[in-house]
Amino acid sequence: MKPLEGLIVILAMVVPFVFIKSHDMLTYIYWCLVASVYLAYIALSRW
Amino acid sequence: MLYIIAFIVYAIIGTAIAIYAKRGIRTQEDYYIGGRRVSGAISALTYAATTYSAFMMVGLVGLSYASGVGALGFELFYLVGTLLLLSYYAPRIWKLGKDRGYITPGDMISERYGAMVPKIMAVIVSIALIPYISVQLIGVALIIEKNSGISFMNGIFLAAILIAFWAFLGGLRGVAWTDAVQGVFMLVLAISAVIWVYTSGFSDISFTQEVPKLGDLLVVPNRIWTPLRFISLTVPWFFFALTNPQVFQRLYIPKNEHAVKRMVILFGVFGLVYTILVTFLGLELRVMSELGSFPLIKDRDAVTPTLLGMMPPTLGVLLSLSIFAAAITTANSIVLTLASMISRDLFGSERIFTGRVLIILLTIAITVFALQRPGYIVELSVLSSTLLLCQLPLILGVFHWKIGGKISANLTLISGFCLAVALFYAKINPLGIPASVWVFATSFFIFFVAANLEHRR
Repeated sequence: MKPLEGLIVILAMVVPFVFIKSHDMLTYIYWCLVASVYLAYIALSRW
Repeated sequence: MLYIIAFIVYAIIGTAIAIYAKRGIRTQEDYYIGGRRVSGAISALTYAATTYSAFMMVGLVGLSYASGVGALGFELFYLVGTLLLLSYYAPRIWKLGKDRGYITPGDMISERYGAMVPKIMAVIVSIALIPYISVQLIGVALIIEKNSGISFMNGIFLAAILIAFWAFLGGLRGVAWTDAVQGVFMLVLAISAVIWVYTSGFSDISFTQEVPKLGDLLVVPNRIWTPLRFISLTVPWFFFALTNPQVFQRLYIPKNEHAVKRMVILFGVFGLVYTILVTFLGLELRVMSELGSFPLIKDRDAVTPTLLGMMPPTLGVLLSLSIFAAAITTANSIVLTLASMISRDLFGSERIFTGRVLIILLTIAITVFALQRPGYIVELSVLSSTLLLCQLPLILGVFHWKIGGKISANLTLISGFCLAVALFYAKINPLGIPASVWVFATSFFIFFVAANLEHRR
């Protein structure tokens, strides 16, 4: 497993705990985007 | 009446599929892993339907309703963790399985750590997963009782019959094909539920304008999703793809390497869409509660049953049936995998007949647990993902470390399992660190210390 890739993914998922504090759907959309981008990366670039 | 008709149609379709899948089963390889001839799309759907249980439409809707966006973060942490692990390990595990003829997860472990280790694994996963399935059945039987008039006991019996019958008849192919149909059904009904709630709750008002009313539920950490709680829940789930045998065994089933990759990607798409739908449904309902158009519910597990009661009868019945399907797809996959592990790894049987007998016995055990509803059953089911963590060093060891043999493997499994049980029943988190993290760290520590001592000997 690529440890750097794992670290980047985990750090990206943790971002809302530190940096997103607005009372709207930003955290929700951010997490959806991170998961979508990672899925697209695996589908298009990883293999 | 409507529910009974829908249920009969559902049972007939599933049984017809299982009977069709029965053809050509001759070996354990055919029975337990579909002869390694399953397409990428069917592999993805059975992987998804096995993973996403009734917890999603009941537990996660309620969790999103009660705790806000943190529920999405928790579930997506699981998804990205699974994608990370599968994108690396799935092709390797599939190839090893094909080259060496593995059928159970224990076959891979046995080759490296000796024959005793899979026997212990079979016992641990049975202890971890039988109560987990029983709790699922209790949940869906209660929902059916409330929404259809079918009694709790009859609901349990109906579920048990379908679980055993479809797995008994068609083995993995029967389970996978019924999973595929039910997986699509679950997704379609989740979409329908979100649209219905949106049109009935937000036809005159804007969801995005009203959502700030949720306040702290829209950010993390909040009073519910503390960093500690988030870590304690996400650690065991992050490694679910490797530690849960019912999904691990599915890595053997695709027909070729292209199908393995297709399985991982399509599962990711299914998981992402389903997670977004389910958590969005919970948030929609919570905003409606704040606006007074949906009751404010204290018990989060009552959110979905309340919604079912407010829906048009047809949609309510179909959504209720999709929750039932979600429980069945998870349960029969677990039962089939446990049957294969107990049959092959524990008893050393090469006969399909043994597995079929075990499917019946396991289903009876699950039914008895579910009917008796002992207090500790819920606690054991909550503990299941933590209990399974002790297998992780052994599985990673196959791919990454040369040290580690039968002594270190046995010691890791037994000590990790005992620690998980002890911490859970003592209800303590030493040094404020969650039990799942303790089990995770201790299992790796014991594995490496024992492996080094074993290596020196």
